[in-house]
Amino acid sequence: MTAVAPAAFQQANIDYLAVLPLLIVFGAALVGVLVEAFVPRERRHTIQLTISVASLVLAFVAILFATKHQGLTFGYTDGATSRRLFALAIDGPALFMQGALVLMGVLGILIMAERFGGVGSDAFTASGASTPGSPIEAASARAGLITSEVFPLTLFAIGGMMLFPTVNDLIGMFIALEVLSLPLYILSGLARRRRLLSQEASLKYFLLGAFSSAFFLFGTALLYGYAGSVYFGDLSKAVSDTSLGLNGLLVAGAFLVFVGLLFKVGAVPFHAWTPDVYQGAPTPVTGFMAACTKAAAFGAILRLAYVGLDTASWQWQNAVIIVAVLTMIVGAVLSVTQTDMKRLLAYSSIAHAGFVLVGVLAFDQRGVSSVLFYVVAYGFSIIAAFGLVTLVRQDGGEATHLSQWAGLGKSHPVIAGTMAFLMLAFAGIPLTSGFVAKFAVFAAAIGTGGATGTVLVVIGAVCSAITVFVYARVIVLMFFSEPADDTVEVLVPSVGTTFAIAIGTLITFALGVVPSSLLDLADRASQFVR
Amino acid sequence: MVQLLLVHLVAAAVAPVLVRFLGRNAFLVLALAPASALAWLLSVAADVRAGNGPVQRVSWVPGLGLDLDFRLTTLSWVLALLVTGVGALVLFYCRWYFTATDPTLWRFTAVFTAFAGAMLGLVLTDNFLVLYVFWELTTVFSYLLIGHNPASSTNRRAAMQALIVTTLGGLAMLVGIIALGVRHSYRISEVVAHPPALDAVTIGAVVLLLVGALSKSALVPFHFWLPGAMAAPTPVSAYLHAAAMVKAGVYLVALLAPAFAGAPGWHALTVGLGLFTMLVGGWRALRQYDIKLLLAYGTVSQLGFMVALAGLGTREGGLAALALVVSHAFFKSTLFLTVGVIDRSTGTRDLRELSGVGRRLLPLSVPAVLAALSMAGIPPLAGFVAKEAALQAGLEAASDGVPFAAAWGWLMTVTLVVGSILTVAYSTRFVWGAFARKPGMPLTPVRVPHPGFLLAPLLLGVGSLLVGLLAPLEHPWLLPYAQQLVRGAPPALLALWHGFTPALGLSALAIAIGVGLFVWRDRVGRVQRAVPPLVDGERAYARFMRGLDVGAVEVTARTQRGSLPFYLATIVFVFVALPGMAALLRGSVGPVRLWDTPAQAVVGAVIVVACVLVLLTDRRLASVMLVGVTGYGVSTLFILHGAPDLAITQMLVETVSLVVFVLALRRLPTRFERHERSLRRRLRVLLGIAFGASVAAVILVASAARHVVPVSIDFPEQAHSFGHGSNIVNVTLVDIRAWDTLGEVSVLVAAATGIASLIFVKTRNTRLSTASEQAIAPTEPTRGTWLRGGRTLRRERRSVMFEVVTRLIFHIMIAVSLYVLFSGHNLPGGGFAGGLVAGLALVVRYLAGGRYELDEAAPFDAGLAVGIGLLIVVLAALAPLAFGGTILQSAVFDFTLPPWGEVHLVTSAIFDMGVYLIVFGMMLDIVRSLGTGIDRQISAERRAEAEV
Repeated sequence: MTAVAPAAFQQANIDYLAVLPLLIVFGAALVGVLVEAFVPRERRHTIQLTISVASLVLAFVAILFATKHQGLTFGYTDGATSRRLFALAIDGPALFMQGALVLMGVLGILIMAERFGGVGSDAFTASGASTPGSPIEAASARAGLITSEVFPLTLFAIGGMMLFPTVNDLIGMFIALEVLSLPLYILSGLARRRRLLSQEASLKYFLLGAFSSAFFLFGTALLYGYAGSVYFGDLSKAVSDTSLGLNGLLVAGAFLVFVGLLFKVGAVPFHAWTPDVYQGAPTPVTGFMAACTKAAAFGAILRLAYVGLDTASWQWQNAVIIVAVLTMIVGAVLSVTQTDMKRLLAYSSIAHAGFVLVGVLAFDQRGVSSVLFYVVAYGFSIIAAFGLVTLVRQDGGEATHLSQWAGLGKSHPVIAGTMAFLMLAFAGIPLTSGFVAKFAVFAAAIGTGGATGTVLVVIGAVCSAITVFVYARVIVLMFFSEPADDTVEVLVPSVGTTFAIAIGTLITFALGVVPSSLLDLADRASQFVR
Repeated sequence: MVQLLLVHLVAAAVAPVLVRFLGRNAFLVLALAPASALAWLLSVAADVRAGNGPVQRVSWVPGLGLDLDFRLTTLSWVLALLVTGVGALVLFYCRWYFTATDPTLWRFTAVFTAFAGAMLGLVLTDNFLVLYVFWELTTVFSYLLIGHNPASSTNRRAAMQALIVTTLGGLAMLVGIIALGVRHSYRISEVVAHPPALDAVTIGAVVLLLVGALSKSALVPFHFWLPGAMAAPTPVSAYLHAAAMVKAGVYLVALLAPAFAGAPGWHALTVGLGLFTMLVGGWRALRQYDIKLLLAYGTVSQLGFMVALAGLGTREGGLAALALVVSHAFFKSTLFLTVGVIDRSTGTRDLRELSGVGRRLLPLSVPAVLAALSMAGIPPLAGFVAKEAALQAGLEAASDGVPFAAAWGWLMTVTLVVGSILTVAYSTRFVWGAFARKPGMPLTPVRVPHPGFLLAPLLLGVGSLLVGLLAPLEHPWLLPYAQQLVRGAPPALLALWHGFTPALGLSALAIAIGVGLFVWRDRVGRVQRAVPPLVDGERAYARFMRGLDVGAVEVTARTQRGSLPFYLATIVFVFVALPGMAALLRGSVGPVRLWDTPAQAVVGAVIVVACVLVLLTDRRLASVMLVGVTGYGVSTLFILHGAPDLAITQMLVETVSLVVFVLALRRLPTRFERHERSLRRRLRVLLGIAFGASVAAVILVASAARHVVPVSIDFPEQAHSFGHGSNIVNVTLVDIRAWDTLGEVSVLVAAATGIASLIFVKTRNTRLSTASEQAIAPTEPTRGTWLRGGRTLRRERRSVMFEVVTRLIFHIMIAVSLYVLFSGHNLPGGGFAGGLVAGLALVVRYLAGGRYELDEAAPFDAGLAVGIGLLIVVLAALAPLAFGGTILQSAVFDFTLPPWGEVHLVTSAIFDMGVYLIVFGMMLDIVRSLGTGIDRQISAERRAEAEV
């Protein structure tokens, strides 16, 4: 064992146009922090909202430009060993995910900004740190305090999510994981109503998230010990070069890293936080998390599975197959019994995570494109669905119990009709994006997943049928039942929320009827750079 | 053909508007949509017969192979004719069926028209995926139609049942379609023209496709949904459950038969289940009193018949199946529409209440009797022609040389005869029940319906007669389909009279016994009651659904109680099961040296004992202390290993954590609530041990796996030559890895601020309150006080000893901390350790003299110390730039300072000073928030309690 002489310092190559979208979002988040510090309270909400939406739109434009600047960046090619040590991979999947995240982020933020005529966002508490029910809480509500810091927090989360599928090494992935998670932990605890539930959700999310992050880091350390590098390219190469004697590190490390990522998508058995957090978090945040966290985490899983640990897939794929099966079954079966709208959607999101995993396990370019399409299709639908949940109220608070939705089809046919349509999309009925997404994933799995893929798809089909039962029950409840009591009302949303829900629903419809353009885009964007 | 679908779509879209303006007459306008399609279909009849029917291909989603391909073959043309023809007539009929005041008419018209369009698309398309799309659309639309009258829970349940069963079948079909399409083609005509080789995947795909077909056509074991769906309005039943939707399954079987009729399992699923269904349906129909339900079970029976014929796969069978499909559409829709009229005119459908209706409603009863005769297979009606052909097909297959096919043929012939007997019996029962004048019963009062109401059943009923009489003319139009099939002889002409054939004899036999069954119906009924139901799909379905419900509730109750420990245990368990086992099974452990000196073993034993004791104690404070012992043990190990610097830092951190714990624990109960003996706790202990063992295994494997030179091997040399210091740890912190330190202290600052702001909800604690500013009670003696703040404490809380000691050691501790700071470069210590020592000095002041004493000791805001510290760190990092160096570069100055002596000053010490200040400020923040802040909360609560 001899020490290697330190190589001469090499400057990193940074293609600023390629990383501009990230810079814009993080920059806007920092500006948002300054706004919190220096702008008078009554003007913060509007300014923050403007900054957030404008920066995301700008970031989207920048992503369009970045498509001309694909390749590895933020690093250098080592002169001595010609290893390519780049922290970021600006490639099709990364840019596709970034674009999707930015657009879904806009919708999420618009729903978060809903004020219903009040001073600040309706969903968020006036003072997050105050004890629920304490005099301080009452005082801060009286004083008209607002929690406009949710906007920079959300921007930070979006930035982390954009980074998550873009990073090209394990450490970067960990940083992205934390950057996206920490704001979400806070956002989950800021609900205006039922605050104890919200704080409990936040605590659970944080503690379990901390554990899974620790596992991820532990796994990273083991994989580094195995490959001597954290870069995905080196990792992939090391698997084909290194002797089998070190497999103890490789397998354990790969499992641990996957635990960290699967936790974020809510795959069984790391799903336990999902219903509790989805229920407790402010509903707009739940919608945002369900759409964007899932998309970002699947982007990261794809990169890890297809670029970093692709050569070792026979070591870990059986475990992930089991996880996928469990996720589909548990998500579908447990959604049957739910009586709370948010919990129902939470379990449905678990089941959907299972379907997406089936696509991941196709181990083929078509698998990549089907996953990309799926998360986008699901994301827009779920944002709209949670947006609708924020509108249905009883005594001021959200009416999330299913019995409160009974007969909504009679009193508010548009809201109930939209929800029913989204439910059909979740069930995967044709002419909705849900069908095309599910079909693309299933086709990829059968096409290249071999016998395992076929078995997974059969299980997926049975689970889909079970979830149809769940969604149909909600539709029956809304349209074919008498309202239990008539104090349930539907608030009239502002332009922003209406826009967000309408766009989410329209995209759900459009992707069901004319999905070609997005499918083609996902197809063209399904090639990773190495 | 796309245009035809568009017509339906537009019609469905404008239907609500039409209803608004035209009321019920909207149906007449809407009927034009299927009628126009019918006209077009008739116009291309000759082309279809010649085998070059129109083809249309519109690209939709080429990436998925989902394209709007349409084509007309004989099979699809015949079904399209039925779908559009019956559709138009049923819409026409609806005009009088519904009342003008029905509030949901707008929805019904739209959905019904859309359904007609979807059904037409289903039979026209040449793409499996589009077929699935339309298949699911018919499911969803039929769901809405069945649930049309949502007031009753029966309707809701029926609608749900139909939806679940057919969706499950549909999804199975989708899997089959994908499996076929991915490997071969999604285009139906291609698959039929060039059938793929029958390997395992293809066979599986075909079976899955058949499951879809069987569920849609209500075959055993899915048969129960169809009678349940009879809750729908009668026109819906007439259309969906006679002419259109249920035929989709038959259509699919007929479509696939040319390609896959020989596949393993094919005959069992189609012929076997079909014939069985025929018997089950007929048997059940005999027991019904509701004439609509009677027809429903009759339909189940006939559907089984059709699927069996279509599945047989011979030319004769194919032709018979198609003829049967046509005749069934005529007679069954006639009968359903008749039931609708009876229901509307008399208000009942119970055959025990109906009497003498036939005589009163002759324009209704004549076509209905014709239809029933057709159903029973009596000459000269269409049903007879079809059944003759079917018997012929069965006999032909029975005489096949291949033994297996022959067995199916015999089975078919025998079952057909038995099934026909039942059919004759229940047809007679229907006619008798609906129309006959029953002795001893009063005549049912009848409201005479509008003539338009009777037109559709009349036309369809007469149609049954015409199709039967003109069967030879029908033959050439159906024949091209039969010629597609490969097995069997060319089929005989469809006609009423073939001479005295065995088939005719069997027919006559069936009719005779069937009539006998009806005549002795009371005796038959007694026998029926004695026989238990053979297959009860409905009960199985209900049991499964209940099981699902109960299972879901149980699992939720067990796993999703919101218990964080449980969630955590799950994740930990996975850790043990996957990475832990992986490390154990796949990893290789190097040679293990147990210890260097026995002292290490002793310390290790102490740590283990402390861990065990943590589990045993039920006092929070004690468990915190014991956890502290493990930490101190680790730092002892560091010392024994020759790392005093690490040991000092670890000890200090341990001490600070203890203090923090103690300060926070004041607000918690002193004891844990524990159920010592509970199983759950034991399991958790076991899991904990397993977890620890897994981590140990992973660590052992990992440390044995080092195969690259550690980067730290250069540190000793570089620390001296570049960092100008001999304490490697400290030089690493402030020089080699100074960037890391910079990042870490920033995080530290943020964390400290976060903690403080959580405790002081509104603002950081800026309002200081030193003891000297407090109005001190005059009774308190001011002399002989060691700590000023002590006087603010209540007497029982004061400790003179503590105050004296504090007074004596505070300044010494500060001095020590400064010494540790500056000596750190070469000796154990450094800014971090120094800051912790200074912070501990503050803690001592606080503990001895209370919160006022703390403000005496540090009469400034913690943020100030932290901020200045951070500033120093950043400036120290940037300063070398000003002298032409790089960021964080260190320089060394050696000079003599007269009273001091030799000074060896490395610039990184300035960086370390910043770290010192940050750590000090953070400690102050901790004591202020967890100490002073909580003190204030406590006293505020006391005051509030006192006021109450």
